[in-house]
Amino acid sequence: MTKHDKTPSTSLVPLTLTWLVLCILTVLSLGLGQWFHAAAWLPLLVAVIVWVKGTLVARYFIESELAHPFIRRLLMGFIAFAPLWLILTGFYGGQFAQWGSLFLKH
Amino acid sequence: MAAEAVLELGREENMGGRIPGNKGMWVGITCEFVEFAVLFIVYFVARANFPDAFQQGAERLSRVSGTVITLLMLTSSFFIACSVNTMRAGKRRQSIYWLVAGLLVALGYPIAKYLEISSNLAQGINGESGIFFTVYYYLTFNHLVHATWGILGILWVLVRHLFGGYSVEDHHGLEALASYWHATDIIWLIIFPMFYVLA
Repeated sequence: MTKHDKTPSTSLVPLTLTWLVLCILTVLSLGLGQWFHAAAWLPLLVAVIVWVKGTLVARYFIESELAHPFIRRLLMGFIAFAPLWLILTGFYGGQFAQWGSLFLKH
Repeated sequence: MAAEAVLELGREENMGGRIPGNKGMWVGITCEFVEFAVLFIVYFVARANFPDAFQQGAERLSRVSGTVITLLMLTSSFFIACSVNTMRAGKRRQSIYWLVAGLLVALGYPIAKYLEISSNLAQGINGESGIFFTVYYYLTFNHLVHATWGILGILWVLVRHLFGGYSVEDHHGLEALASYWHATDIIWLIIFPMFYVLA
């Protein structure tokens, strides 16, 4: 069965499971932030959790897999955008700041 | 009858995939994403330049408020998704109940935000309390504005729903509203760790 043969869901079970996972991930990310606030790898983990949560909302609430390719790519791109920046600034924030100051000097 | 309508919905625009709601709403959602992408860049540039301010600033915010708002957004998004799915199944009355539940939970967001801002101001935290708080206020206020439009949209769709404006065959308006609310939910899911988790 291709994705174009699939039909929009009428069941509430996948929505309920998705909502439960989203709530658990929210509480988990808060706990991780408090327990490991000094850990260097925290931005990476938080970025992964943000990406997973965004993807779950897109896939199960918006049903992006059945959507027009533009909508699918728009959602995928936007959901990946911030986590990517979180990782980059988390690990290379100092270098980004230096590049920014170089631009400002000119 | 309901199953046939759902099948039809799934096969509409079969070649390219379906459009949840309508094209106009997705133009709006695209603009919303572009706007927030620009605001996120400002956040990351500020964070890279002032890491200490962002470290200390996050510790002064109420994590409880941020978590409550996240859970409210997730829950209202879930209820509205249930409203769409029950409408597809031909259960109009249930769909209205889910939408009312979604509206009530969504209304908790501005209330929680009001309490958070009041608490911030009582501690002397305003938009001029440093770079972290300037970025925090403009990003979260901007999101609140978008959520307020969404709440007004839910109200409008609810009124239409109550007057029989939607059917199994045609409930694009309900689905468009749901898409906007889910998109606004995704944006909050990104904002939440930026200010309340990464201290």
